[in-house]
Amino acid sequence: MNRSSTGLMFILPAIAVLLMLIAYPIVYTVYLSLIDAHGALTGKNYANVLKPYVTRQAFGNLLYYVGGSIVFQVLFGTLAAILLNQKFWGRSAVRSITLIPWVVPGIVAATTWAWMFHTEFGIINYMLTGAHIIPGPVGWLTNKDTVMPVLIAINVWKLFPFVAIMVLAGLQAIPADLYEAAKVDGANFWEEVWYITLPLVRPVLVAVTLLLLIWGLNAITLIYAITQGGPANLSLITPIQIYQLAFTSFQFNEAAALSVLFFIVAAIVVAVYVKVIPSNTAVAR
Amino acid sequence: MSEDARLAGEGGVGSRVTIAISAIVLVLVCLFPFAWMALSSIKKLPELFTVPPHWLPNEPTLGNYWTVLFNSNIPRYFLNSCIISGGATLVALVLAVFASYGFARFNFRGKAWLQTFVLVGQLLPTAAIIVPLFITLRWLHLINTYWGLILIYTIITLPLSVWMLTSYFRGIPYELEEAATIDGASRLGILFRITLPLAMPGVVAVVVYSFVTCWNEFVFALVFAQDQSVKTLPIGLAEFSTEFNTDWGGVMAASMVMTVPVALLFLVFQRLFVGGLTAGATKG
Repeated sequence: MNRSSTGLMFILPAIAVLLMLIAYPIVYTVYLSLIDAHGALTGKNYANVLKPYVTRQAFGNLLYYVGGSIVFQVLFGTLAAILLNQKFWGRSAVRSITLIPWVVPGIVAATTWAWMFHTEFGIINYMLTGAHIIPGPVGWLTNKDTVMPVLIAINVWKLFPFVAIMVLAGLQAIPADLYEAAKVDGANFWEEVWYITLPLVRPVLVAVTLLLLIWGLNAITLIYAITQGGPANLSLITPIQIYQLAFTSFQFNEAAALSVLFFIVAAIVVAVYVKVIPSNTAVAR
Repeated sequence: MSEDARLAGEGGVGSRVTIAISAIVLVLVCLFPFAWMALSSIKKLPELFTVPPHWLPNEPTLGNYWTVLFNSNIPRYFLNSCIISGGATLVALVLAVFASYGFARFNFRGKAWLQTFVLVGQLLPTAAIIVPLFITLRWLHLINTYWGLILIYTIITLPLSVWMLTSYFRGIPYELEEAATIDGASRLGILFRITLPLAMPGVVAVVVYSFVTCWNEFVFALVFAQDQSVKTLPIGLAEFSTEFNTDWGGVMAASMVMTVPVALLFLVFQRLFVGGLTAGATKG
C-alpha cells in the first residue's frame, strides 16, 4: 500500500499555504533586517534599534503587561472554574455568560472600557467617587501611575474566561471517587482544592499559562486602540513599536531587525510550550 | 456529573450563599460593560455628557443607530467583514479537512515534525511577520483586496482548525471506513461520504471558531486594508471614534452592531465550540 504518499497528498495543500505565508516571511524578515535601504549588507539596523531608550522601555512595559495580566488571569480564571463546577441553579447560563468577554471583539472591549474609564463622563469615576473610594475623578488612561494597571485590568477581564473554560474541562476530568476518599478522611472544601484539585489540574494550568504568555507577547489590539502606547510611551509595548516603525516611520529594515529580536524571544517561549505540553497530555486526560 | 453533586449537594446554607454571591458577582463583572454599552447607545449626546452620568436614559433614542446605519461607512464595513470572514473560514475549512484527515488516518515519515510545524504556526507572534507579509502582499498586488485579507486570515485560523479536526477524526472508529474500503469506495469517497458527515459537530466548531476569529481581527486589517472598499468592522469602529470627534453614542451603537452577531453565533454553537477547543487543548 502506498499509504504514506496518500497521507502526504492530503496534508500538502495546508502545509504549502503555511510555508508560503509563515515560513517564507520569517526568512525574509531576517534578510530585510540585514540590509540597508540600498540593499547592501549591514548590521546597523540592529544597532539603531537597540540603542534608543524607548526599545528597552517598550520591552519592559511588555513584560509588566504580560506578567501582570497572567497572574490575575490564572487566579480569577481558576476561581471562576471552581465556582462553575459547583452545582447551582442557572449554572449553564452563568457558564455561557462567563465566556462572553472572551468572545467579543477586542476592539469593542477596548472602546467600551475606554468610555467607562473616561475622566469626566465615565461611569467608573462616578461610581468610585460616589462610594467615596477616591476623592475626585482620576484620569485613568492619562495618568502615568494608573495607565498600565488599568490596561492590565481590562486585559484580565478579556481573557480570564478562557482560563476558566480550560480549567473547568480539567476539573470535570477528575474522578469523583478521589473526593469521596478525601471526605472519608475528613478533608474540608479548601483542603480538597489544595490537595486534590490543584495537583490534578496543574498540567492544564501549565498549558494555559504558556498559551497566555504567547498570546500576551502578541497582543496589540487593546493597547493600540485605547492609548496607542501613550501617554509619552508609558504603555508602549514592543509589537506596537514594530508596527509604528514599519507603518508610521516606514523604517522597514529597522522594523525587521526589531521583529527578529522579538521573534527570538517568542520562539524560546514557544519551544518551551511545545516541549512541555506533550509530556503533560497523558496526565491531563 | 457526579463530582458536582458531591461538591455542592452536602454543603450547608453558608456555602450555598457563598456560591450564589460569587455567581452574581461573576455575572455582573462579565456583563456590566455590555449593559453600559447598550444603555449608552440609546442616549442622546447631551445626556452622554452629563455629570453625574444618568444610569437610565431620560429620553431613549434610536438616533445613534440611525447615524451608524445611514450616515456612516459601517454598513459597507459590515459587508466587507462578512465576505472576508466567510471567505477565510471556507478556505481554511477545506484545507483543514484534508490535512486533518491525512494526520488522523495515515502514517508517514516526518508526520510528527509537520504536526509541530502546524502547531507552531498558531503560536508565532503576528508582529514579527507583519513587515514581510506586507511586502509580499504588495508584490502580489493583494493589498486592499478581499483575497489579500482572506489569505492572511487563513493562516491565522488554519493551525487550530487542523488541530481541532484531527482530534475529532481520531475519535471516529476506523472500522466504519474499513467496511467501506471492502465495498470498493475510494479514499476521497470515504472521507466525504462517511467520515465527514460523522465529524459534523467538529466541522461546525471549526467554522464558528474561524469566523469569530476573523470577525474580531484588528492588527492585520489595520495594515492590509487601508481602502474603504475592503476595510472591516474593527477598523471602522476605531475610525468612528476619531472621524466624529468621538461621538460616543455612535461608537456604542456601532459596537452593538458588531457584537450582537458574534455573541449570538457563539451562544448558539457554544457547546460544540467549547467541546472542540478543550478536547484539542487537553489532548494535544
